[in-house]
Amino acid sequence: MAAFDLVVIGAGPGGYPAAIRAAQMGASVAIVEKEELGGTCLNWGCIPTKTLIASSELLERIKSAESMGLRVSGASFDYAAMADRKDQVVQKLRNGVKQLLKANGVTVFQGCASYQTRNRIQVESNGASALLTAGKSIIATGTASAMPGFLPRHERIVESRGFLRLRALPATTLILGGGIIGCEFACMLAQLGVKVTMVELLEDIIATIDADVRRELRRHMEKDLGIRILTGVTLEEIAADDRGVRGRAGQETLEADLLLVALGRRPVLDGLKLENAGLAPNARGFLDVDAYDRTRVATVYAVGDITGGPLLAHLATSQGIVAAENACGSYLHKNETVVPNCIFTTPEIGTVGLSEQEAQQQGRKIKTGKYLFGALGKALAIGEPHGFVKWVADAETDQLLGAHAVGPHATDIIAEAGVAIRAELTASDLAHTIHAHPTLAEAWMEAAHALIGEPIHSAPPRKPS
Amino acid sequence: MVKAVTMPKLGQSEETVKIVKWRKQVGDAVAKGEIILEIETDKAVLEVESFFAGTLLKVVAGEGVTVPVQTTVAFIGDPGEAVPDVAPSTTPAATHGPKHESMGPLTRPSPDGHPLPLEREKGLSPLPAERVVPSGGDRVRGSVTSQSSNEGSFQPSASPEVFRISPRALKLAKESAIDPTQIAGTGPGGRIVERDVRDYLEAHGYNRLRITPTAKKLAAREGIDLLSLAGKANGNQITVADIERIVSERPKPLAHIRQIIARRLTESYTHAPHFFVTVSADITEVEALRATLKAQGTAYTVSDFIVKAAAMALEEFPIVNSVSDGEAVRAHSSIDLGLAVALEQGLVVPVIRHANELTLAEIHLRAQDLTARARSGRLMPDEMTCSTFTISNMGMLDVENFTAIINPGESAILAVSSGAKQPVVKNDQVVVRTMMKMTLSSDHRLIDGALAARFLNSIRKHFEEISLWQRLT
Repeated sequence: MAAFDLVVIGAGPGGYPAAIRAAQMGASVAIVEKEELGGTCLNWGCIPTKTLIASSELLERIKSAESMGLRVSGASFDYAAMADRKDQVVQKLRNGVKQLLKANGVTVFQGCASYQTRNRIQVESNGASALLTAGKSIIATGTASAMPGFLPRHERIVESRGFLRLRALPATTLILGGGIIGCEFACMLAQLGVKVTMVELLEDIIATIDADVRRELRRHMEKDLGIRILTGVTLEEIAADDRGVRGRAGQETLEADLLLVALGRRPVLDGLKLENAGLAPNARGFLDVDAYDRTRVATVYAVGDITGGPLLAHLATSQGIVAAENACGSYLHKNETVVPNCIFTTPEIGTVGLSEQEAQQQGRKIKTGKYLFGALGKALAIGEPHGFVKWVADAETDQLLGAHAVGPHATDIIAEAGVAIRAELTASDLAHTIHAHPTLAEAWMEAAHALIGEPIHSAPPRKPS
Repeated sequence: MVKAVTMPKLGQSEETVKIVKWRKQVGDAVAKGEIILEIETDKAVLEVESFFAGTLLKVVAGEGVTVPVQTTVAFIGDPGEAVPDVAPSTTPAATHGPKHESMGPLTRPSPDGHPLPLEREKGLSPLPAERVVPSGGDRVRGSVTSQSSNEGSFQPSASPEVFRISPRALKLAKESAIDPTQIAGTGPGGRIVERDVRDYLEAHGYNRLRITPTAKKLAAREGIDLLSLAGKANGNQITVADIERIVSERPKPLAHIRQIIARRLTESYTHAPHFFVTVSADITEVEALRATLKAQGTAYTVSDFIVKAAAMALEEFPIVNSVSDGEAVRAHSSIDLGLAVALEQGLVVPVIRHANELTLAEIHLRAQDLTARARSGRLMPDEMTCSTFTISNMGMLDVENFTAIINPGESAILAVSSGAKQPVVKNDQVVVRTMMKMTLSSDHRLIDGALAARFLNSIRKHFEEISLWQRLT
């Protein structure tokens, strides 16, 4: 029986950084992974989808090159080659994780983990089994795409992971669910010439973000990318056969070559035998943790998607490091007040901190300041004058509480806003910080000027006459 | 036509009333009989209805202001009508009545409407705003108010000499969120100049403090001395959360009713030497009778029986129905029983007058009415004063036993606990009976132990005497 100070279950973006950090602190660490190192993010989520989106966006840019004075003819794509590139990127990063774990002296076990007691974990793989004793353990098993029971089992009905296994694109696709994953796939497919119809039960797509940001995205998806978006309706009577998939949305029957299901993600705790450790999932199927990432069993921690918070790799990593430190004797409070969220649609969206609609729900008094990329030199120069950035600040102190960007490189420029909010800067601190010209990040400074009522490059606030 | 809304006279004893909250704002339509404001007396929070219909045109006395009864507090009329120019500061309205005067050392109204507990705020708040620079303008929160009569009531006790600071020095101190009264001035006549502030910041390691920009702004606004926070922040820098924590930990004035409770009970407990006697009453048969009566249509409470039993005992022991200050004794001529009622904002004690002359059914109806109105805040002050003996019943709260503090003006109080089934020895047999403890608190200046025991056992005897209740119901 192998004995470790810490056993981490799941080698995704929550688990592997936890293992590395604990090893750096001198603990003997094992990590158990039933599939691939890197978890969903690296293998079937963030990385492969962003690799494909990079290709589809480049194609889109090339197609519109003429507006920038370039003459490109015959631009086309080979999806199989795009998929190969995606696999290469994933393979490279996966090897990187393997090297990192090895370099830090973490023992990797391939197989399914299950608790025998809170300090004894069995790992099974193809009939072979190993028994580990664990002083402490971290559960980082993550989530998987939800495939509700009403959906027929058929090769034409796939979730995101299944989609990434395809080697050729369908001509038409129905997307069920207008959340972040659904919208990202819709944009990518539309850019590659796939005819996309999206069906969302709620009244709008990505309901968690502010309405003005949503409106900007939806306008581009519908008008420029030609995606058909049906909101406030359900897709019923779903059927699939050799010729295609069908479903009824209201009065209309929708048909396509493929149905992509993007209805959210479910917790993965199968086979873990939590009860042997004295643990049970909550009513939603996730694990409750305290501010130090401890479960209700003193020696067991949990991090990442499985804790039921926002499904974000970077949040999982932050939690993983906190849990590892605490498992090794530190007493760190987890830091989840300022978590950026990036959406890789076209246009991109980046948000961090408080939204206008959250402020409204909390009854909190706020001010906002907005700046349109259409008025920004750099955005015009690069031919992407769409979208805007917006600050949300406390009405009394002008403290920056939230930031929202939709438009070119929104997912990159949101980083500055995260730092400003974490540092508790006021709008005037940000407005008086010199931003390089000409850059997209200038928009934050201009929006801060607008918020404090001193706009330079936009119309001044109307004075009561 | 414009009509004046006057503060109603609420009873014989109330001369001043504090305005807690205006339910209607200027410009709001008001229907006749609609509640327009909430007021607070020494005893309770009450609602005031409008006698007129119309639009609220002007509020003369704002929230937090104490006014004598019969004073004009607002005007109601048609929109646009001219309103007589009545300023609260020119009327005798804003003066403290004798009742409020006695609270003088504890509170004073502030411009933002909340009484500030002066002594404690001075002691605990790092930067007591009201002590800073009377000459400096906007910092003089509350030390000079529009109510001229308040001016004399507040004297800064700390430093009688004048605090002098240059405008630039004051600005720097404000921006740095520090308390300038701690700085020694080197200017003419000890005036603090900008250099003094800089030297002070340097000497106290201000520049080594790490403060987020919003935290600094918030501290300046809230009057928190950042130097007092050195090393006390939760992280390695002072953040908004640290400032908000300090603001939330600041002493806040107790509700008026709580202050009254605090003053009266402290007075009673420190002046009257309390002692306590406990008995267990067997309520098995009374409970059975209550169940029968309830089935017949009247849900008598345990308190109803206690009130009657206590009233009968008080007739037998008139000395318990008296009050003493240690030098004289004053007998009450009637038996008026107070019933302690717990409300969210504090205890009130409505009174059942002449309880000894009432039937059990009358006591029941009276108690039911008083308790219901106490809960809805509609008791009149007269209904909560001058009881001669009080009963506090915590039977519903699952307690084994407790002691109560004597209501000022009385000599004893009965604390009634929960009934519970217990093994009891009766005729040398262990039997299960429902027992309930009652503890009498008595003022030893007037009542000795033997008297308390006899009185309390008299209550118990009456209470347990089932034939009595069968006769009275």
